[in-house]
Amino acid sequence: MQSAGNAEVMATLTGIFRDIFDNPSLVLQDSMTAADVENWDSLNHIDLIVAIEKKFKVKFTTREVTSLKTVGDLAELIEKKLATKP
Amino acid sequence: MQQQPSVNPTTEDLSLDYRALVAASRRLDPAKAARKVKVALLSDAATQRFVPVLRTLFHRQGVEAEIYEAPFDGLELEIYNPASGLYQFKPDFVVVLNSVQALRANFLKRPGDSISFVEETVARMAKIWDVIQSHLTATLIQSNFVLPYERFFGNFDHKTPESFYAAVGAINSKMTEASRSRGSVLVNDVESVASWLGRRFWFEERFWDSAKYFCSLECLPYVGKNIVDVAMASLGRVIKCIVLDLDNTLWGGVIGDDGIDGIQLSAHGDGEAFYRFQLYLRELRRRGVLLAVCSKNEKANALLPFEKHPEMVLKLEDIAMFVANWNDKADNIRQIREVLNIGIDSMVFLDDNPFERNLVRELVPGITVPELPEDPADYVRAVSELNLFETTTFSAEDSKRTEMYRAEAQRREEQASFGSVDDFLQSLEMRMTVARFDSFHLPRISQLMQRSNQFNVTTRRLSEVECKSLMEDQRWLPLYAKLADRLSDHGLISVVTLEAREDSLAIRDWLMSCRVLVRGVEQFMMNRTVEHAKKLGLPRVTAEFIPTAKNGMVKDFFQQFGFAKVEEDGSGHSRWVLETDAYQPARTFIQPVVEATEVEGLTVS
Repeated sequence: MQSAGNAEVMATLTGIFRDIFDNPSLVLQDSMTAADVENWDSLNHIDLIVAIEKKFKVKFTTREVTSLKTVGDLAELIEKKLATKP
Repeated sequence: MQQQPSVNPTTEDLSLDYRALVAASRRLDPAKAARKVKVALLSDAATQRFVPVLRTLFHRQGVEAEIYEAPFDGLELEIYNPASGLYQFKPDFVVVLNSVQALRANFLKRPGDSISFVEETVARMAKIWDVIQSHLTATLIQSNFVLPYERFFGNFDHKTPESFYAAVGAINSKMTEASRSRGSVLVNDVESVASWLGRRFWFEERFWDSAKYFCSLECLPYVGKNIVDVAMASLGRVIKCIVLDLDNTLWGGVIGDDGIDGIQLSAHGDGEAFYRFQLYLRELRRRGVLLAVCSKNEKANALLPFEKHPEMVLKLEDIAMFVANWNDKADNIRQIREVLNIGIDSMVFLDDNPFERNLVRELVPGITVPELPEDPADYVRAVSELNLFETTTFSAEDSKRTEMYRAEAQRREEQASFGSVDDFLQSLEMRMTVARFDSFHLPRISQLMQRSNQFNVTTRRLSEVECKSLMEDQRWLPLYAKLADRLSDHGLISVVTLEAREDSLAIRDWLMSCRVLVRGVEQFMMNRTVEHAKKLGLPRVTAEFIPTAKNGMVKDFFQQFGFAKVEEDGSGHSRWVLETDAYQPARTFIQPVVEATEVEGLTVS
């Protein structure tokens, strides 16, 4: 279920994805995986994680990073982190 | 004519933001690059993310960088295989990045004691340099090691060589020592970068584990800038002059309004920040950077603190050129440039006033105008952070540079009082030493080759290593010239290299410091050149002019000596020939000091 907050997260995420993958028309779907986005390799994955951490001011553990499968998982994880921030 | 890009820290242009650099790398305009360099990266860490960062940073300096990455952690394989990608690439620069993370793994598995680990590590590094340089005439840029954060002995780490911390420090120190005897091995001080940024932000262990990242992505651009700074200095891009405003830059307050007792300048108390700033500038002056004053003031007022203020650190002898009037600063700066005869891109302008800074940025493209913080206490730090004074050479002559410019100003005054140029030149009592390259003079010779842009017919930038190989090659006559006169010693001011060929003596390099134009140096050197050709029984002397953006003044240099232009292509590249029989020795007022025996031992192939 998407909450209103999630839409904002998705919007910000979209901006980040578009910059990292140099694709100004990229549209994110919850179900997308690395296989669905051109150039989403391990190096760009790190760029993505670092950019997300910087933008949202959150920190992921190595385990959290490796457990992500879809864009939806990623958005949910960000939401959870934002909600539990002091 | 290509303009050098302005380096202005306020603009987005100088951002060291990782994402901005990566994004910019996708859209670099090749038309803005005046030259190309090839850079090879060798590392025991991952190098991929350096590529877009380096390309963008080089591009900002007007350089198109083609980058080769050796296979990950394949240092030894690349350098010992003569057919490796590295050697086939023929880079201008070989950047070797050694990570403390990989070093740590080796240290913790060391078979012997810490001291032998240190010695073996440094020996291996020096061997790598020598092997690379036996195959390539590239300049090597070697990183040192970032100090580790583990404190196995706490503060006692410093007191025992067995600690990892002490071992890394010792490796850095011995590695630097080893580089001193190798002119073409330059140091990339990543430890100072990491220390400045903060080692706790530098190390990102999760990305070392998963991807072998050298440092956090946030810090990566600063390493890139360090590498580019070193490379650009190696390519001859050096800052030669700082132009200084006075009021609220060198002292607090306005001299015209506050008077000498009202300005703030003191070793202890009000205006200590300005005192410190002056100490910093004076040290730069001693190291060979020229200082010029450009102030909106009555000249008498501007001079007052220099002459009378008891706490003034900078004296008039420290100032190569003093300009104080009510004219536009941009015009004044252009005049300073012309008199000092240096490139605009070798100048920096410091002024506390943002209006003046912006004006100069707009009207004097190519000059570097840093932002200065509001608090003068931070002036030194703000200027230092930009690392403007990178160099690859330092010779004893550098500290005398200001003196030489001031003596030159005196010469010009005297010249004005003489009836004829000849009388004036005669009165100077000039003496010149011309000799074959020797080890003692190699640093200055290489420095002159890096710095000479205008009076330089082929603009070959030979490193010390390359100069040394000419020195040892008997088919070559590589010459340097030193000039002194009644007023001062100019030091080493010209380099001419001659290659003996079957039936001609080829002039391969001819360059001279612009400080000694129209004195007779060129005439003296050409007389010598033709003398040598005759001694070797060679009937002709050949020469070449390769045009650049800056050497238009020597386009027809050889014509005055009777050379005939035998070839010229569309770009202005020309070749010249002189029959030695037809040469008329040129008149000079210069006396030779040493009858050099350069011709001994020279064999003609």
